[in-house]
This record gives sequence, C-alpha cells and structure tokens, in this order.
Amino acid sequence: MADLLNVSLTGMRAFQRALEVTSHNIANANTPGYSRQVAEFSTREGQGTGSGFVGSGTQISTVKRIYDSMLGQQLQSATTGLARFETFVGLAERIDSLLADPGTGLNAGLQSFFNAVQDLANDPASIPTRQALLGEADGLADRFRSLDARLSELDSEVNEKVRLAVDDINRLAEAIAEVNDKIALTAGIGQPPNDLLDERDRLILALSEQVDVSTAIQDDGAMNVFIGSGQPLVVGATVQGLTAQGSEFDPTRVGVAYQGVGGTTPLDTSLTGGTLGGLLDFRSSLLDPARQSLGQTAVAFANRFNAQHASGIDLRGNLGADFFAVSEPASLYSANNAGSGVVTAAFVDDSLTTGADYLLSFDGSAYSLTRADTGEAVAMSGSGTALDPFVADGLAIEVGGAPAAGDQVMIRTGTGLAGSLETVIGDAQAVAMAAPTRVVYDLGNTGDADIDYLGVADSADPNLLTTAVIEFTGPGTYSINGVGAFPYTDGQPITVNGTEVAISGAPAVGDRFTIEANFGAGGDNANGLLLAGIQSIGILEGGAISINDNYGRLVAEVGGATRQAQASAGAQAVLRQNAEDEVLATSAVNLDEEAAKLVRYQQAYQAVARVVSVANTLFDSLLSATRR
Amino acid sequence: MRVSTQGSFLQGLSAIQRLQEALDQTQRQIASGRRILKPSDDPIASARSIELRESIGRLEQFDRNAGIATNRLAQQESALTSVNNVLQRVRELALQANNGTQSNESRGQIAVEMRQLLDNLVQLANQRDGNGAYMFAGNLDDVVPVTRSAAGFQYNGDQGQRLIQVGQSRQVPDGDPGSDVFFRIRDGNGQFALAANAANAGTGVLGAGSVTDPTLWTPDQYTVTFTAPDTYEVTDSGGTVVATGSWMDGDNIRFNGIEFVLTGAPAAGDRFEVSPSRYQDMFTSVERLVDAVERSVVDSESRAALNNEINAGLLNLDQAIGNVVDMRTRVGSRLSVIEKQVDTNGGFSLILQETLAGIEDLDYAEALSRLSLEVTTLEAAQQSFVRTQQLSLFNFL
Repeated sequence: MADLLNVSLTGMRAFQRALEVTSHNIANANTPGYSRQVAEFSTREGQGTGSGFVGSGTQISTVKRIYDSMLGQQLQSATTGLARFETFVGLAERIDSLLADPGTGLNAGLQSFFNAVQDLANDPASIPTRQALLGEADGLADRFRSLDARLSELDSEVNEKVRLAVDDINRLAEAIAEVNDKIALTAGIGQPPNDLLDERDRLILALSEQVDVSTAIQDDGAMNVFIGSGQPLVVGATVQGLTAQGSEFDPTRVGVAYQGVGGTTPLDTSLTGGTLGGLLDFRSSLLDPARQSLGQTAVAFANRFNAQHASGIDLRGNLGADFFAVSEPASLYSANNAGSGVVTAAFVDDSLTTGADYLLSFDGSAYSLTRADTGEAVAMSGSGTALDPFVADGLAIEVGGAPAAGDQVMIRTGTGLAGSLETVIGDAQAVAMAAPTRVVYDLGNTGDADIDYLGVADSADPNLLTTAVIEFTGPGTYSINGVGAFPYTDGQPITVNGTEVAISGAPAVGDRFTIEANFGAGGDNANGLLLAGIQSIGILEGGAISINDNYGRLVAEVGGATRQAQASAGAQAVLRQNAEDEVLATSAVNLDEEAAKLVRYQQAYQAVARVVSVANTLFDSLLSATRR
Repeated sequence: MRVSTQGSFLQGLSAIQRLQEALDQTQRQIASGRRILKPSDDPIASARSIELRESIGRLEQFDRNAGIATNRLAQQESALTSVNNVLQRVRELALQANNGTQSNESRGQIAVEMRQLLDNLVQLANQRDGNGAYMFAGNLDDVVPVTRSAAGFQYNGDQGQRLIQVGQSRQVPDGDPGSDVFFRIRDGNGQFALAANAANAGTGVLGAGSVTDPTLWTPDQYTVTFTAPDTYEVTDSGGTVVATGSWMDGDNIRFNGIEFVLTGAPAAGDRFEVSPSRYQDMFTSVERLVDAVERSVVDSESRAALNNEINAGLLNLDQAIGNVVDMRTRVGSRLSVIEKQVDTNGGFSLILQETLAGIEDLDYAEALSRLSLEVTTLEAAQQSFVRTQQLSLFNFL
C-alpha cells in the first residue's frame, strides 16, 4: 500500500510539473523569441519481485525546448538582410523625394532662373527685369544650398546612426557574453537551460538586425560570435567590441573600427548586412555620389555662368564681374600625416571635373593621385608648382610645404560645394547682358562691304575695350590701326584686341570699319543670349552633358538605386516572413494545444489522486479487518 | 503544418498591413492623378519627365520671347509705313515743283509743306517704343538717334541689332538700327550720282542714268566737259581723258559702261559731274530737295539748274523709298519666320506634353478597378482576422 501511495505520488508530482510547463507556455504565448517547452515523461524503473517487475510510477526526464537551429539560422540571415535593405530604403527614399520634388528639386529652379535670363535678354535695359533675375539667381543658389544642406543633414544622421548601431552592437555583445557565462555555469546540471538559450537566441537575432554575424557553439555550450571578415566579437564570456571613430581625413565622418588585441582595424568595407551595413552601404553607394554629383553640377554651373558673364559688359560699361561664387576644392589632410605639406587645388576646366574625392599621396619623392572611391590611379601632368601645377581631371593642384613620405591629402571636388554657392552680384546694373565690343561701318564708305560681329574670342585681352580701326589701304589689303597690310579674304574672321569680326563683300579703298567698346548699349543682349544658352549646352564630361542633364542623371540614379533597394527589401521581407513563419510554426505556443494539455494533465492528476483514495480505502479495509 | 497562436496573429496582421500599403499607394495616385509619385516609382520615366518638362518650359519661354519680338516688329512696321507715306508725299510735292507751270511763289508754298514733312520724318526716326526706348537707336536705346547740327544730320545710335531667341536654334532680330533705315542709303542711282556744275551757262538737264556694262564700270570721279555745244570729253579724277564724243539734244552720254540722258542745250565749257554713289541719309536728301524747290527761277538757265537738282533729289528720294520698302519686307519676313516658329514650337510642345502625360499620368480606369479590388481584399482580410482570432479552446473550458 505504501508502494501504491508512492507510485501515485510520482504521478502527481510529474503531472503537476507538466501543468507548470504548460502554464509557462501559456504565460509566454506572446513572448517574442520564446520556444515552447515540452515535459518529457518516462517510466520509473520497476522493482523486481518474485512475481516479476512491478512498475514504480512515472517521472519527467527532461523539459525540452522545441527549437530548430537550422530554422533559427535562416531567420537570422533573413533578418540581417531585411534590416540592411530597410535602412537603405528608408534613407534613400528621403533623397529620392527631395530631388524630384518641384518645391525642392533643382530642375524647377534652373528653369525659372534661365527663363529670367531670357526675359532680361528680351528687354535688357529694364531695371525691374534685372532685379527679377537677381531674385531668381538668389532662389536658385538657395536651392543648391538647401539641397546640399538636406544631404548634409542626412550625412550627419548616418554618422549618428552609425554611432548608435555600434553602441547597440557592443551592448548586445556584452549581454551575449553574460548569458554565455550563465549557460556555462549550468553545464554541470546536465539539463538544458531552455530559457537562457532562448534569451541568447533572441540576443543573436537582435544583433543580426544591427549587423551580419556568424556563430559557433563551444563544448561548454557558450556561443562565439564573429563579425566582418571573421573578427571575434564574443568569445565565451569576453567581448572585443567595435568603436565608432572619425575618418583620418574628416573627423566628422564616422566609420567603424574593430578593437582587436593588436590595435584597431577599420571595418567599413567588410561589414555587411543589418542596420549598420545598410547605413554604410547607403553612405558609400548613394549619399556620397549624390553629394558629389550635386557639387559637380553647382561648380560647373557657377563657373560657366561666371565665365560667360565676364565676357559681357554691364550697364555701367564694366566687364561682367562674378555673378555667383562657389568654393574651390577642399584639401583634407590625413590625421596621420607626419609632414607639413600644403596642397591647394583649383578648378580649371569645368568640362572635365568629376565631383569625386581624390587622394594625393607623397611617397618621399613624388606625388601620385588616385580616386578615393575606386582607388584608380589618375595621371597628372605638370610639376606641382604655382607656375606649372599638377593638372588632372579639370583640376590644377599646387603643392608646397614639407610633406613626409606616406603623407596623404584628400581633395574633395564635389561634396559640400553646392552648399557654398551664392549670388555675389548685388547690383542690378552690374548684370552684363551686352557684348563688350561692337562694330561700326563708316557711313562714308563707298565700297559694298559689311562687317559682322562674331563675338568675343578672348575676354581677358587687356585691349578688349580699346577702339581699333580696320581700314582698306589698297585693293584687297587692310591695315589695323594704320599698321600692316593684311590680305583681305571675303568673310574670313579677323580677331582684333580679342574681338572676332568678319568683313564680307567688296570694300573700296579708304573704307573703314571700327571696333569699339560697347558703352551705353543698354539695349544690347548679345551676352544675355549666350548666358541663356548655358541652360541647354553640354558642359560636363567634355561638353557632352548639360547642367540639367547632369541633375536628371542624379535623379535617375538615386531613383534607380532606391527602386532596386525597395525590390530587394520586398524580397527580403518575404524571406524573413517565411523564416519567421517556420520558426513560429515549430517553436511558438499554440494556446489550443496548451488548453488541451491542461485538460489532459488535469485529468491525469485527478486519476492518480484517485489512486491515493483507493490506497486509503485498502488501508481502511485492512484496519477494520484487524479490529476486534 | 502546425500553427502557432502568435504566428497566426502576426500573419493576419502583416497581410492587412501589406494590403493597406498598396491601398495607400493607389489612393495617392488617384488623388494626384499621377502614376509616378517618386522617382523610385519609375526611375527612367522620371529622368525622362525632367527632360520633357525642361523642354516644354523652354518652348513656353520661346513663345513668350516670340510675342515680344512680334510686338516690337509690328511697331517698327507701322513706323516704317509712316516713313514711307511721308517720303511718298515728299516725292509728289517734288514732282509738282518740278513742273514748269509752277511759279516761285507756288514752289515756296510747296517747300513749306516739304519742310514740315522733313520735321515729321525726324520725329518718326526719333520715336520711342512702348517701353520708352528709342526704336531706331540700335542698342543705345536711351540716346536720341537723329539730331541736326551745323554739319548736317547725325546718327547717334549704334549699328547693333538685338536678337530674340524664338526657337531652340532660331534667333530673330527684333528691329533695325536707324543707321540702316535712314542713313545707309546710296545716293544717285545706287551706282553713281550725276550733278550739273553750278556755273553752267547752258540749259543742259540731266536725266536718269544706268550702268550698261558692269565689267567696264570703274567707280571714280568723272567730269563730262562740253568742249563745244555738240562735243564733249570725259576726264577721270586724275585728269586723264577717258572718252570723247559728239552729242545732240536727246542723245545719251556713254562711257566706261555707263550711260545717262542729257537734254537741253549745254553751252561750251559746261560741266557735268559723275561720281560714285555714296551714303546719304534721307533727311539730307529731303532737305536738299527742299533747298532746290526753293530756288528762284528767273531764266531758262536757272530753270535747268532747278530741274537738275530736283531730278537728282528725286533719284536720292527713290533710293530712300526703296530702302524703306526693303526694310519693311525684312520686317515682314521676320514676322512670318516667327509665326512659323511659334507654330513649330506649339506642335512640338503638344507632342512633348502628350509624351509626358503618357509617362506620368494615371490610367484612371485601371487605378479605380485596382482600388476597388484592394478595398474588397482588405475588408475580407480584416473580417477573417477578427473571426479567426476569436477562436480559442479556452472559450469552452
């Protein structure tokens, strides 16, 4: 009878435990990352008697966690992929809508600016129309600056988010190390620490959301975590974390480095996946090129407009001063430089500029130039002096000071320059709409020749505004300012003092044509038409791409990259959904199932409890049999 | 497959979220009427639409420019018509004055009207356009273009012409400088001019002349001197005799590829000058004509001198009228060029706008049927979500 009680006791104990496991499951039905647990029943060893082995009840051999590590890995890699693309898309969509929005995009600003130039060309003397042009110019410069500011804000945001992601990664790594420690302590018990394992899987999943990691389980149950190109982030209970640090050229640009035993290693290019991978990818493949392209557009626009403006004359009779101002390329010296070299770069040819970042390296005797993004070598001509600067990709680079071998300078030819664009012409009268010179045929001419003004060949000619007279001194010969006897060819261009003219027809001896400064010609719009033409002429890439085309290309590139990332994010979302569904299907709690188990274990408990009362009855029978 | 409570909840929820996202996109497309809301919706089409918008914007600007040019050219055309009318009236009056029946007094009255016409002409040359700029001063449009001094009439403008962009590769001048309209006019017949010497004693009257053989004509200052009433010799500027001939009333004088009519009775020693044409402004031409009309006639010699001067003046006037007519023709052809260009621009703009609409605009029929399908699906998903979430065994315990 004592056996009977013992057997029923084992049952009661086991079913109580099973009910506990079930209620644990019910309680955690909505806990993310919880793997349902199952109590595994087994029979207790029987007792050998003469009449055979008699069972001694039941027991719970283990509480098992229903978890498939293959499915867990799948979920982890889908999560890291999704986080990467979602981060990318979230940031890219902001540039995307910024660039094409008629309120913030450049194309609407360019259009109304050039319309104002044309309006002024139609009525060049009108002061109100001149004021309107200055207003449009301010508006356009403001668009360039605010676009750059928005991109620059995005850059700061990326920097901030990189820092946050690095903090998160370090925090998660610490937490994983801590759990590893606890798990190792339970190794002696011989039973799986289910909830600790769940906790660790949850941490690994959260880490995967930040960055792509790989894992390996040690013999003591601790999990090692590797990052980047195999750098150990967590080994057992120790952590070697990441740091967010400023780039050697630009302290404000935050990169990621690994703090290994032998010092820090930059990881920017080897980190993939997760929020951090998405941030770094977004910055290098979309934000940097967008800022560079915008800067390139701003520089080409401002410099070309200024050059044409300088080839005209304003209402006061002065040659056109600078209309816009835009900075020259920035020189960023490496923090590791040992020497004191000084590098000054300037834009010399708008048709060749790329907007890219360049690295100028000094090897102790010679300088070499490479593209910072591709690492491609760029050939330079010249010797780097002020008189004979290095010339490459539309830049003139002058070097000085005392650089040490191994010193490097980054030359930024695009990033941030759109933010420096401003209108510097403040005076409506100073807009140079007229050609600087004009031609006059003498009304005393008897020949049948006419003179055509072809334009300014060299606006820098010091004698541009000096009056010059072409006089026919003999049949078929002419002199300039009374000097020389040049042969006359009908219609052939003649350049005098930087002005190009053509005389056609049959001049008579003594016929005179004058080239003089175009003072007072408020009605002239010759330079205005050329300024308006800048809208559609090819300027960049050797004169193949117009300002507007270059901007359109940026919009298409950003749009294309965003769309591609959206498609990838969509695909990753499906993968992640599938992986999650599978994990949930295997590991998550089904409340109906638990309800059924509850009923089942309750009934079983009631049954074994009934055995106790049977034993009690048996015992009572025995007692009453012996009562005399 | 096993279904977990959390899984079925999350799946139902994410299905609803996805449907809401699609519905939102459709709703926005319908609200804006545009298929492409962000460049990433269709990057290639977006880049294309930027180009198209730029082209359409440029064409609109060209049309605005063309309107301005048309307006200015129309003003110039009407000014040129007035100039022509004045010159025609001067010509009529000069012909009247040239008539032998006119007395000194009646010619004096004619001259008064002619002087008024001259003032008129100067006013026309100095008129301003709607913006207050001088129409015929070239680009120096705040300078009075024609003034008069002791040396004669002067042009103070420049010879520049403003071009207006009316098409991608078409620029049209929106006017002509006064130098071309009023000043750059050849005198005589355009090749040479004739004049009788003031000291002539005979009654030789010069008529029209022409170049009969351009290969023989060398522009130079020639003098036809009558050595006797019926013989003449021609000397060039160097005094070399280049031709001699005999003449009787009604004969043409011919030499070096030119000929001209001479009538009347020149006396021996009378001289007639043949000079190559020079530029003479129309104001000077009119003024000299008036001066000639005011000459008093006392005998046949002075009448011959009157006739000679009026004839020469009429030739100059005809050159001026011809020049004005030329200018009007040019203005007319510019106006028609602009009109054609505006038509071309309009047609092009229409095509571009259709293309843009094809790229950007929403197909409403498709979008609305998509919307109703999405709404139905979302409603169904919401209903089934609520229904399945209510199912639980615990309801029965």
